[in-house]
Amino acid sequence: MTALDEPTLARLRTERLERVWAERSGLLGWLTTTNHKRIGLMFFFTALAFFLAGGVEALLIRTQLIGPNEHVLSPQAYNEAFTLHGVTMIFLFVVPISIGAFGNYLLPLMIGARDLAFPRLNAFSYWVYLAAGLFVYTGLAIGQAPDTGWFSYVPLASKQYSPGAGVDFYALGLIFTGVSSTATAINLIVTTFKLRAPGMSLNRMPLFCYAFLAVSFALLFALPPLTVATMLLELDRRLGFEFYDVTGGGLPLLWQHLFWIFGHPEVYIIILPAFGIATSIIPTFTRRRMVAFPLVAVAEILVAFIGFGVWVHHMFAVGLPTITTIYFAAASLVIVIPSGIQLFAWITTILTGTPIFKTPLLWILGFIVLFIVGGLSGIMFAAIPFDQQATDSYFVVAHFHYVIFGAAVFPILGGIYYWFPKVTGRMYHERWGQASFWLTFAGTMVTFFPMHVAGLEGMPRRVYTYASGAGWSGLNLTETLGAYLLAAGLLTMTVNLVASAFRGALAPDDPWHGDTLEWATTSPPPAYNFAVIPTVTSAYPLWDDADRVADRRRLARGEMVLAGGHEQPASTTLDAELDEILEMPSESPWPLFAALALAGVFVMLLTGHVAIALGFGAVAVALLACWHVWEPEGAA
Amino acid sequence: MPRRRHRAGLLAVAACALVAGGCGRDQSVLHPESEPAREIATLFWWMLGISAVVIGGALVLLLLGWLRREQPGIPLLGGAERLTTGVVIVFGIVIPLTVNVGVFVVANFVVAQATDAPNPRTTPLTVAVVGHQWFWEVRYPGTSGAVTANELHIPAGTRVNVVATSDDVIHSFWVPQLNRKIDMIPGRTNRVLLESDHVGRYRGQCAEFCGLQHAHMRFSVTVEPPARFRAWLAEQARDRMPPRNAGARLGEGVFLDAGCASCHTIRGTTGRGEIGPDLTHVGSRDTLAALTIPNTPPELASWIRDPQHIKPGNRMPALALTGAQRAALVAYLEGLR
Amino acid sequence: MSGAVAGEGAAAATERRTIANGVWGMALLIATETALFGTLIATYFYLRFSSPRWPPAGIAAPSVALPLALAGLLVLTTIPVTAAARASRRERAGTAIGLLAVALVLQAGYLAWQIVLFARDAGAVEPKATAYGSVYDTLLLVHHAHVALGLLLSLWLIARLARGVTPYRVVTADVVALYWVFVAVVGMAVTATVVSAA
Repeated sequence: MTALDEPTLARLRTERLERVWAERSGLLGWLTTTNHKRIGLMFFFTALAFFLAGGVEALLIRTQLIGPNEHVLSPQAYNEAFTLHGVTMIFLFVVPISIGAFGNYLLPLMIGARDLAFPRLNAFSYWVYLAAGLFVYTGLAIGQAPDTGWFSYVPLASKQYSPGAGVDFYALGLIFTGVSSTATAINLIVTTFKLRAPGMSLNRMPLFCYAFLAVSFALLFALPPLTVATMLLELDRRLGFEFYDVTGGGLPLLWQHLFWIFGHPEVYIIILPAFGIATSIIPTFTRRRMVAFPLVAVAEILVAFIGFGVWVHHMFAVGLPTITTIYFAAASLVIVIPSGIQLFAWITTILTGTPIFKTPLLWILGFIVLFIVGGLSGIMFAAIPFDQQATDSYFVVAHFHYVIFGAAVFPILGGIYYWFPKVTGRMYHERWGQASFWLTFAGTMVTFFPMHVAGLEGMPRRVYTYASGAGWSGLNLTETLGAYLLAAGLLTMTVNLVASAFRGALAPDDPWHGDTLEWATTSPPPAYNFAVIPTVTSAYPLWDDADRVADRRRLARGEMVLAGGHEQPASTTLDAELDEILEMPSESPWPLFAALALAGVFVMLLTGHVAIALGFGAVAVALLACWHVWEPEGAA
Repeated sequence: MPRRRHRAGLLAVAACALVAGGCGRDQSVLHPESEPAREIATLFWWMLGISAVVIGGALVLLLLGWLRREQPGIPLLGGAERLTTGVVIVFGIVIPLTVNVGVFVVANFVVAQATDAPNPRTTPLTVAVVGHQWFWEVRYPGTSGAVTANELHIPAGTRVNVVATSDDVIHSFWVPQLNRKIDMIPGRTNRVLLESDHVGRYRGQCAEFCGLQHAHMRFSVTVEPPARFRAWLAEQARDRMPPRNAGARLGEGVFLDAGCASCHTIRGTTGRGEIGPDLTHVGSRDTLAALTIPNTPPELASWIRDPQHIKPGNRMPALALTGAQRAALVAYLEGLR
Repeated sequence: MSGAVAGEGAAAATERRTIANGVWGMALLIATETALFGTLIATYFYLRFSSPRWPPAGIAAPSVALPLALAGLLVLTTIPVTAAARASRRERAGTAIGLLAVALVLQAGYLAWQIVLFARDAGAVEPKATAYGSVYDTLLLVHHAHVALGLLLSLWLIARLARGVTPYRVVTADVVALYWVFVAVVGMAVTATVVSAA
């Protein structure tokens, strides 16, 4: 046989991979897909739809508050609007887009893998998320929207004071979304521990992966208290149990403790992926390594960990013993340390590097400024007497919008621009990108900064209107105009990206000279991600030209191409030494069916048909059995 | 007659101001009128100063990063890894830790002494406030037995122990100019100190989302000279002024027969309803419906005709009264000073 | 390093140095469910230490000996289940199935007995009357639900092993064994919590 040259051999091997990994086309292909990139995109677009819904709710709220005594929304509609705004943005937008879109799409690429550890569980996670989001909004559709706030305190949320079904949609809906997040968290952890390319020892893993590992562990331990809280609420409401009812020896404060034991880690769950995105963009756009890489990795994990010990700082006005509040104030200040470490690592990297001020970096700079403002107002809350003035006022509304919108969403928006070329294969329009940033940043400042003042001027939160002479009219008008400006910025971004997806310049594999492995493959990546499992000998693999040359040679020789089936390597957890070759499942209908059965369970629980709910549960179990009939030819 | 009308006019103006929000500063944390509130405000200004330094410093660094974007390394110091890690440790750990410990100690040990729940032994006067959807029941326990709604009066210069609880859902008692807020939780009593040397009227508002009309659950705290307070309290403790003319007797009849008495108490009558506010001295109040509308005859008539129009979702139904009945009722109630 | 081909997977499995993906997945699921039970148990003690009398007046103190004995029985069944996992690794399907069946009978018996006890006490510990009743019943019900799911898992494993041992089914056996250890430990914790009111 005549010897073939390198490029021809490479082409032959990739053709084999293309055939093995070919995906079913059409709707059926999407309904049965288990490919992490397709699922990531499904999460992405669904999350954007919920972002739009939450944004409309926000604009309705701001329009109602544009002046005193307005009649844009009735009190009932207003209460539904702010409840749905919080629930949608937190549970149906920011967490799913972070772990379900960014985590799903990018994690395997960054570690040199071909899919997550449990591809069908990944698909299940998406379908459950979609079903749960639709479940919550069904409440709105039938005039029974949740209306007691995103943290729904009892006794207001008890059957006596909220007789409608809104709270039931809320409580069951949150348990339902929790199934999706738990599944994704387990998937991301096992993927990170088992599927890194050989050579990517833990200390060579991208900081993005550390952030997502921390988030996933945090989710596993934060969601159960929420599940318990909402389950007990439903038992009280539907079966007359006495967990929260004073007349039966129950305690309203039990709800607050359970909710915030979840709720505080949740805000770190919201922000940690953003930290991961920021630490991906900064080295690329400053063209240097991240300062204090090990410190940043440890800080990301510490944030998740310490976040579990501070929840009572949401309850400083409740009348708890002083010793208790002092302990939690001290713990809350400790969390400043890992945040400070990361902030200064980022700032120092920018300062000592040679930054390129393109759109992705601009969003990160905006994030840094907004995170510092939000973090500082947060620190003020650790001063208990000040907290006892500012909590439940617009001051805290300002604080959490700075840290959630400014510090969690800005990196997401920057990340969308950053990875847009990789995902779509096209470049976005740079000037319009920068314009969208400045509009959104200005809108954010104009909307949320005056809220600090309004709160200190005595304006409580969650009020559907206010008196004309309270001194809050000018502030509220400004905030509302800011909200429209913010919306204009997001609209600009949307138009830019939609237009660029169809007409943008074609993007190369690595338009930014990035340092992580996703830039080693084509834009967009093929279904199998990498034709050859990448060689990794450092924490900045794309800046190691020798390794990338070695990849091409190995492709030609057929080493680590793994085209015998849907194959990818598993490696040891610490040092990433090759352990075995895994065969992954491909298209499957069981995740969708199982999600539908689970939806049946929740709908029947909502309507009170417990026996039928159990029936759907039995169906779900049976479907799980069908799911597990398929076995890989090799090991598990 | 003319003098009372003049006074009524002034009260109406004051009431409008109270409802509309006065000069816009009577609910401000940053315009303290008591020692605890002053300490909190001062604490805030210090924290704001420190924050301004931090954010200013960060902006300077980022600006430097932009100005020096072509040159690697820190100005004057170079770019050695150890140096940059040192910057992270000093500015990210050491300085924040030091500042935080300082703020923590000052806030939670020094200032907190003024804002913590008062020891009942140190407060000559106790006022019990019970939160309802959506009004404030105010009781003065002890010998006086005074009950009113939506307004507190306290003597200047006296430490007052407010004991707060709720009859239904969680509310929060917040008078920003006088002290921190304290939640009102059913099954639990919490305490907050009110004390001011400055005679005046200060506004409070419910600060825990409590349902449909959370936005219209406000109250006022009047700090007045001790003698005037004692006179007010004695008046509030008495049973209602008996009706002195036929019109007022007719009004009282409407109150008792048209259903009002099933929700409202007027001490001295058989009306002992516990669902709505005590109306024994409703005529002496400047506002109605928890500071939602001024207490003038036309506003009261409007309220009685259609409470749901003014405060949609509140517990009071529109009663089927003739115009004459309503006028008599309004006259009677306005006379209950 | 040349990549191994899929067909050599069976041999590769026994040489695997890492924890299998499925076992990791179950371990993490157990971690989150343990947090769930931990929260329920913490709720129990929070309600208890906020109550003047526990159990409240009119409710008899719980029995101690029988519940603890039953919980101990459940712990004992983890022995045959883990032995079954080891047997399946040595490709002894028959032994594994036998051990699983013995454990299954004991575990089903445990659940049946618990249901009978629960029904018998239902009137005395009324969940709609007191927080005590609410948390008592909820703790037990959530635990029993996990036991029931475990029975289904064991049945599935028996059905799969009956068709022969593969590396995948060896991991399944490990996963089921891990699950039963979790359920047994939780069972002991829940029982200890509930009888602590005696």
